[in-house]
Amino acid sequence: MKPFHVSDCTLLTNMSGLPAAVNLRELRDRLAICSADVLYHHFCETPLVPFFDNPDYRNDFAVWSKLHLSDRVLAERLGVIDPYLAADIEILRSQVLDIIDERLSEVQVVPTALPGSEFYFLEATTVVFDTGNVIEHPTGLRNAILNMTNSSIYFHFLEAKRRPPVCIDDFSAWLADWGNDFESYIQALQSIDFMFLTLAELKNELAAVVAMQGE
Amino acid sequence: MGRKLEAYEGIVGTAVIRQLRQLGEKLAGKRVVHVNSTREGGGVAEILGWMVPLMEDLGLNAHWEVITGSGDFFSVTKSIHNGLQGFPVTISSAGWQTYQDVNAVNFERLRSLLEDADVVIIHDPQPAPLLNLCSDRKGKWIWRGHIDISHPFRPTWKTLKNFVVGYDASIFSMCQFALPLPHPQFLIAPSIDPLSDKNCDLGASELEEARARFGLDPYRPLVVQISRFDRFKDPIGVIEAYRLVRRVSPIQLILAGGGATDDPEGKAMLDDVLEAAAGDPDIHVLLLPPDDHRTINALQRLADVVIQKSTREGFGLTVTEGLWKGKPVIGGDVGGIRSQVVNYHTGFLVNTPEGAAHRIRFLLHHAELRNSMGIKAREYVREHFLLTRHLREYLTLFHHLLSKREEKMFYV
Repeated sequence: MKPFHVSDCTLLTNMSGLPAAVNLRELRDRLAICSADVLYHHFCETPLVPFFDNPDYRNDFAVWSKLHLSDRVLAERLGVIDPYLAADIEILRSQVLDIIDERLSEVQVVPTALPGSEFYFLEATTVVFDTGNVIEHPTGLRNAILNMTNSSIYFHFLEAKRRPPVCIDDFSAWLADWGNDFESYIQALQSIDFMFLTLAELKNELAAVVAMQGE
Repeated sequence: MGRKLEAYEGIVGTAVIRQLRQLGEKLAGKRVVHVNSTREGGGVAEILGWMVPLMEDLGLNAHWEVITGSGDFFSVTKSIHNGLQGFPVTISSAGWQTYQDVNAVNFERLRSLLEDADVVIIHDPQPAPLLNLCSDRKGKWIWRGHIDISHPFRPTWKTLKNFVVGYDASIFSMCQFALPLPHPQFLIAPSIDPLSDKNCDLGASELEEARARFGLDPYRPLVVQISRFDRFKDPIGVIEAYRLVRRVSPIQLILAGGGATDDPEGKAMLDDVLEAAAGDPDIHVLLLPPDDHRTINALQRLADVVIQKSTREGFGLTVTEGLWKGKPVIGGDVGGIRSQVVNYHTGFLVNTPEGAAHRIRFLLHHAELRNSMGIKAREYVREHFLLTRHLREYLTLFHHLLSKREEKMFYV
C-alpha cells in the first residue's frame, strides 16, 4: 500500500475585484455574480483566518449579517448552511441567494452596514507544501495527526473534500485503499460534525476517533 | 551579511523554515529588486532591512534600492502621502513635475537593474513612476501600498492612479486599504523581526540602565508611545489622555521616535509636541537616532501599557512590537491596528483621548488581566505577524506571478 504523504498549506489572499457591499441588496447582487472561489473562501476557508472569539457562525456572510447588518434572523438562516452538504458551489450559491431574497421580501428597510464595516469579497490561492512526513500504516495515523499543524488538518480533512474524489477527506481515501480492515475508521472519521470545531479541536477529535477504533 | 533563516527555528518551528526553503528552491536565482525612499526610519525600511538578506539566504538574487531626491521632492511625496490618507492637500503641477523628474533621474541610475529584474516591488507612492519609465522591463512589477488609501483626497489619488494602474499586481496590508485597480490586488500583512535589536529579549540590567538614563521612576506606571512625530500618530492626543489619567493616577508618559529622511514635517510636529509637554517633568519626549533600536526595545519592555493612538495608520508595526513584548496595546480604531488589537484579548481600540484615558486606567487597575492579555498578545504575533509568514507570502506571490498560471491551488 502507498504511504500517506503529509502536506501543509497556506493561503495567498486577494481581492476578488468586486466592489464592497454596504447593504444586503448589494451583498445579494455581488453573490449572484461572484466567482466560485469567492463563495468557497467565505464559506470554507474561514478556519484558517485568525480569530479569538469562537464565532457563532462559520461563514463570513452570516457573521457579517449579525455583526454589521444587525440582522440576527438572516444570520441564523445563513449560519446553518453547511457548504459541505451542497453537491457543488452553484447549488450553494442558489441556496444563499434564496435565503437573502426571502429576507429582502420580509424587511421594510434594507439592512445596511455602517461606513467602515462593508463586506469585502475575497478569494485565495492555496499553496501546498510537502512536509516530508509520511505515514506508513494506519496504526500510525493517530500520532501523525497529533503532530500535524492546524493547516495540515485543514488541507487533508476539509480542503480535501473539494478535490477528487470529491466529498471525501484524504485520510478516508487513504484508509479505503487498505480494504475492509479500516472501514470502521472511515465511518468514524466521516461521522465527525466539524462545523463548530476550530482546527485545533478538529485535530484532537480526529485523533480521538482514530484511537477509539484502534482499541 | 544578515541573519540566517535557521536562527528563527526556535521561535517559529522547523516546519515553517522548511516551507520557506522549499519556496526558495523554486525561486533560486530570480532577480528581485525592492525600491523605496528611505534606508532608515519607518516600518518599510525596517522590513526591507531583514527581508532582503533573508531572500538572499533563500537563494534569490535580491536587491534593495533607495531613490534619492531633493527637499522639494520629499515635500511633494509627503503631501501625496497625506493626500492618500485623506488629508486635503494642494500639489501644484510643478510639484507633480518634480515628482516625475526626480524619479526619472533615479531611473537612469537604476535602469539596468530594473530592466533585468524578474520581480520589482515598488514600495509606497514615492518611487511609483519608475514603472512607466521602464519601458523595456521584462519582469513582473508589484506596487506595495503600505498606507491606508481607502479614503484618499480624490485629486491626489486621481493623479497618482496614473502611475500605479500599469503594475502587474499590487499588495495591501488589509482589504479595507485597497481601491479599485485593473490588476490583481493581494493582501499581505507586514511583520516584525523577533531577533532584531528592536524586538529581541533584553537583560534586566539593560532595562534598568534605560530606566536610569531617562530618569524614570520605577514605582510609578509608565505609558509609552513609540512612533514618528507625525500628525496621524496623534501624539498631542496621547498627551491629552495622559493628563486625564494624571488627575487620578501618578503615571509617567514617554513619547519617543526617530525621524525619517523622507518626512520633512517631523520637525514641526516635534515642536508642537514639545510645546504641549512643556513644564511637565513626567512627560518624556525623546527624539531618538533612527538606529537606536535597543532603546526603543527597552522602553516598550519597561512600559506598563503601550499606546498607539493613531488617527490614520497603515499597519502600525509599533503595535506589533508592543504585543510581541507581552504588552496589551491601546490603539486607535483605524487601519491595521484593528487587525492586531482585539478588545479584551490583546488590548483595546479607542477613538478619542478620553477613550484612551479610560482604557489606560482600566489596564492599570487590572494587573492580572493585563498580564494574561500580554501573554495572548505575544502568541497572536507569533502566529500571524512574524517575518517568516510575511516572507512566505511574498515568495508565494512571486511564484504565482512568475508561473503565469491561473490555478487556485499549486504545489511547491
